[in-house]
Amino acid sequence: MKVMKKVLLTTLIAATPMMAQVKEKIEVPYIAFPIKMGKGFDVVQANCLMCHSFGYIINQGRQSKKFWAGKVDKMIVHFKAPITDKDRKVIIDYLYEHYGNGKEQ
Amino acid sequence: MKRREFFKTAAVSAGAAALGTTTAEAGVTHQPVDNRKISDVAFPEKRPLITYSDRPPLLETPREVFTCALTPNDQFFVRWHMPDIPTYIDTDKFTININGLVKKELKITLKELKEDFEQVEVAAVLQCGGNSRSAFEPTAGGIQWGSGAMGCALWKGVRLRDILDRAGIKKGAEWLAVQGSEKAAYYETPNFIRELHLDELDDHVIIAYQMNGEDLPYLNGFPVRLVIPGVYSDSWIKMITNITVTDKYKKLFFMDHAYVVPDNECECETPEKKFPKTKPIYRMNVKSIIGYPSNGAKLTLKSQAVVRGVAFDGGAGIREVQISLDGGKTWDKAILDSGKLGRYAYRTFRYGFKPSKLGKLEIMAKAINKLGEEQPLAKDIKWNHGGYKYNGIDVVTVEVV
Ligand code: HEC
Repeated sequence: MKVMKKVLLTTLIAATPMMAQVKEKIEVPYIAFPIKMGKGFDVVQANCLMCHSFGYIINQGRQSKKFWAGKVDKMIVHFKAPITDKDRKVIIDYLYEHYGNGKEQ
Repeated sequence: MKRREFFKTAAVSAGAAALGTTTAEAGVTHQPVDNRKISDVAFPEKRPLITYSDRPPLLETPREVFTCALTPNDQFFVRWHMPDIPTYIDTDKFTININGLVKKELKITLKELKEDFEQVEVAAVLQCGGNSRSAFEPTAGGIQWGSGAMGCALWKGVRLRDILDRAGIKKGAEWLAVQGSEKAAYYETPNFIRELHLDELDDHVIIAYQMNGEDLPYLNGFPVRLVIPGVYSDSWIKMITNITVTDKYKKLFFMDHAYVVPDNECECETPEKKFPKTKPIYRMNVKSIIGYPSNGAKLTLKSQAVVRGVAFDGGAGIREVQISLDGGKTWDKAILDSGKLGRYAYRTFRYGFKPSKLGKLEIMAKAINKLGEEQPLAKDIKWNHGGYKYNGIDVVTVEVV
């Protein structure tokens, strides 16, 4: 009996092709995050979009210079972002100017 | 925005006073950010959600959804770490590869997974360890989630144990390295892999292909993901392609540096002085969220109002949810659902009352689990640099008119 049932089940499934709800490539939309324009933006754009969107920067809120320097260094040290010393400084200044809270520390 | 500012200042000064030190040294915790805007753009198989990022996709579920025991698939939160995620899976060719210290290497197709193994189901909460991170002050590292980086679903799949038994584990095997399909954009960035000790595998750990009776949505890990009930979601690897059985633990970035808390009793530290020893986050603590009403809702004086929400923990099960309408002076029991979804799922709760005074009213919800562990007040939660495991008593402020 058990064998019969199993055979029945297999035939039934074999008759139905593997179906997925989504049959084509999914299209992940692009979001235009409202990042601020200003001095150094081109450097940020060149260095900070490789691994994630600007959404990552924006949702942090206003922060100190030390905070932003820490983030840029985290990207370089932990995630191996290939950012030069010169660019690093421009990026920190840009982030602090547009997403800073007025505090150095 | 105004409300958020209000909570921030209120909680910050209260916390500092209690600790008798300045906030900068101590680090404090307040209610997480609430009422973030829902995007007007919908992601594949999703309704519009709170959107932090498109690459990788980071989507948060709005508070209003946390009145149901099972979170609808199209409102379930989304969290990836790497920008390169497959946007198409050929279901006929896809295989899960089992290798390493096994007697027989396996390449299991989806068809085999669904037909050649016992099929099992488990209802379980999936929550990001950083859920509610925006509660921490100063800002803790990572995405500043509100309280919606969580959901509960009925997962269907195959026990990981059964699969490993079929492959046959060799002597000396101790660890599993589970790898998904998300890839870093830059070859030197650490990939997202999770290691599990073989002892962690109980019968509830499954490789799931279905969520609430449907295929997993792509953004939740189609075609298969790991389900580890009671445990934070960084362990629930999505789009699993490979499982390697090993005898040694290999240091991994996300497990050893990212998803960690201080390895001390309070799992806490100060912003200035990080605790040197850390441990990966693992079992979830007890938590509840009010789904209705939301902050800013208007209730009518003397008409019957209802508070609804969800409560859960790491698998001990919820014993009670209590509601306070007087700032935590007195607490009253809410009614829990039958609990038929099991100890890893949300327990929904409801509480009826008649607002008796005009003006602002604070509604607080506190869950207590079967071990007697209960949620602390937000201000009593201790800071940690990753902003993990926040489980403060939820507070919504409504207006009685
Ligand atoms: C080589 C890849 C890479 C590059 C380039 C990169 N990041 Fe990141 N970044 C990451 C990863 C990986 C994470 C963590 C991803 C996650 O958890 O979702 C992250 C997270 C963040 C976060 C979230 C906060 C946190 O502590 O995790 C911020 C903010 C951030 N990056 C800012 C930047 C800025 C600014 C730049 C440009 C200087 C940059 N990133 C460039 C890989 C990168």
